[in-house]
Amino acid sequence: MSRAAIIGTAALVAIVIVLPWLINPYVLQVLILTVSYSMLGLAFAFTLRVGLPRFDVAAWWGVGAYTTAMLMLKGGISFWLTLPIGGAIAIMLGWVIFKIVIPRGMMVFLLAGMVLTMATQQIFASLPFFGGWSGTGVIPLPKLGPITFADKKAVYFLGLVILAVNLLVYRAFSTSRIGRAWTAIGSSLGLASSIGVDVVRYRMANVLIGNFFIAVAGSYLVASTLVAIPTMFTFTNSINVMMYVIVGGIAHSLAGPIIGALVVTFIPEYLRMAKEYEPVVTSAAIILIIIFIPRGILGLTIPAFIQRRLEAARIRRKD
Amino acid sequence: MDLALFFQLVVNGLMSGGIYALIASGFTLILGVIQVFNFAQGQFYMLGAYVTFGVVTSLGLPYPVGVLAALAAMFLLGVLFHFVIVQWTLPHGFFHTMLVTVAFSTMVGQASFLTFAADQGLVDPVIPGTFNVRGITLNNGKLLVIGGAIVVMVALYYFMRTKIGTAMLAAAENKEVAQLQGINAKRIFWVTMAVGSGLCGVAGSLIVPVLSATNSMGMNAFIRSMLVVLIGGTGSMSGALLAAFLVGIVESFAFQYVGQLSLVAIFAFAAVLLFFRPGGLLGKPLPIPGQ
Repeated sequence: MSRAAIIGTAALVAIVIVLPWLINPYVLQVLILTVSYSMLGLAFAFTLRVGLPRFDVAAWWGVGAYTTAMLMLKGGISFWLTLPIGGAIAIMLGWVIFKIVIPRGMMVFLLAGMVLTMATQQIFASLPFFGGWSGTGVIPLPKLGPITFADKKAVYFLGLVILAVNLLVYRAFSTSRIGRAWTAIGSSLGLASSIGVDVVRYRMANVLIGNFFIAVAGSYLVASTLVAIPTMFTFTNSINVMMYVIVGGIAHSLAGPIIGALVVTFIPEYLRMAKEYEPVVTSAAIILIIIFIPRGILGLTIPAFIQRRLEAARIRRKD
Repeated sequence: MDLALFFQLVVNGLMSGGIYALIASGFTLILGVIQVFNFAQGQFYMLGAYVTFGVVTSLGLPYPVGVLAALAAMFLLGVLFHFVIVQWTLPHGFFHTMLVTVAFSTMVGQASFLTFAADQGLVDPVIPGTFNVRGITLNNGKLLVIGGAIVVMVALYYFMRTKIGTAMLAAAENKEVAQLQGINAKRIFWVTMAVGSGLCGVAGSLIVPVLSATNSMGMNAFIRSMLVVLIGGTGSMSGALLAAFLVGIVESFAFQYVGQLSLVAIFAFAAVLLFFRPGGLLGKPLPIPGQ
């Protein structure tokens, strides 16, 4: 790393750590939500590498959240144990569903994801076991030694730790052998399968790893809201995740979703004066961003000559 | 189960099936020809219903004029949508285009919520009364929706056999080769978008004498149309038609017995069908990106 990069990283870390003391509690709450959204965005970008856009994000997010809430309420299990349990349940259910869906190709995966999101929300809302539309009861505060997570600052830092774990794991995967196979599938499906990459199995592995982290993000969300309600896991959530990835920069699978989630979540906050016209203005802003900055916000930071070389490489790959 | 209830459920299912068929075939057409995942499809349906409601109830014009007005308005909106928004994102790829249609759909949804929130959009029945055969009572309005949907589907069938319809199918098959044959791909694109939106507008105006126009109707119908496309095989128009009626009937029966969980029931139905018929119910589908 160059000296400028080290100084830049140090400054960024310092800002992220000091931030909770500088902003008011409401903004901190939105920021915590954004951390959870970032994890969803990372998972979306991760699966996009194998050429699959996932719109089932809110479904697994809800599975994680409901697992944590139900286990803590009915079983009295510690919050920390529910994180991996939620992830494991998301993997098992996902395996059964994706066994049918993944071999049918990208478009079926996309449509099935949308339907899955709607169906999951409907299941949580209709079954009395999950508490119906009013949601589960309020869960006890998670504890870690002397820290109880009553203070939102503690929840924020917990989120940063989980986010860091997410980033490290995704990074480790991207440079590994399996990561190279994923990239091969993403850039050319036919070519990858012709050199002996088992597309369905590799895609399945990728999607299930994503499932695990999405469910963990859901459990983390419950640590902040202390309750799981069906209306938290909507179709709109699933769609917004794609927005984070593209607005942040579709070529940047690690930093892009985080930046995108920040921008997309905070645009509406700054448009509060537009009152009920806020969603109209926000959507118009998103449309303008996509038309005029197709490479996303991080795409703006790359110098033009590197961008030209990347573009040339992309065109070569397509041929 | 008694026979009257059975037939009423079938008619309900065929009615919603007809609506899903119109929305899904417009969606499939746009996906196949322009390769745009048009998320705003449901909102065009909702707007179509409101246009008919406005023309018939506020202006006091006859219902057929309302249907034509909805068709024309959604046709124009589709053209505008294509020229102002969609065409600029086409070079950036599938996901960018899909995302602008998502944003447009949110925009239209909220704008219509602010405009029509208080309106109960129900048009007076066109043919009031009921239809009786051997003690089975069926609602005339619902039968009219089924008939209207079938008429529009037949019209679409013949439209796809005209010169411009054939050109659309050629462009769906291979854009470059179609252009070499002298087909103007740009014109084909906006015509496709307009036809797809117009189909939704007609669907909306057909349903509005039976079910009142609401803000959420667009999204609800869109989700079910996605299921239809999923079962019918992505890109297959005749498959979509068959799947639409199947989904409509299954949903209608499921709603009778499990209520709000009917969405889960049709989802399970779709999963089972997908398991046994991976390529869709019938036929060779249109080529779709990224298979």
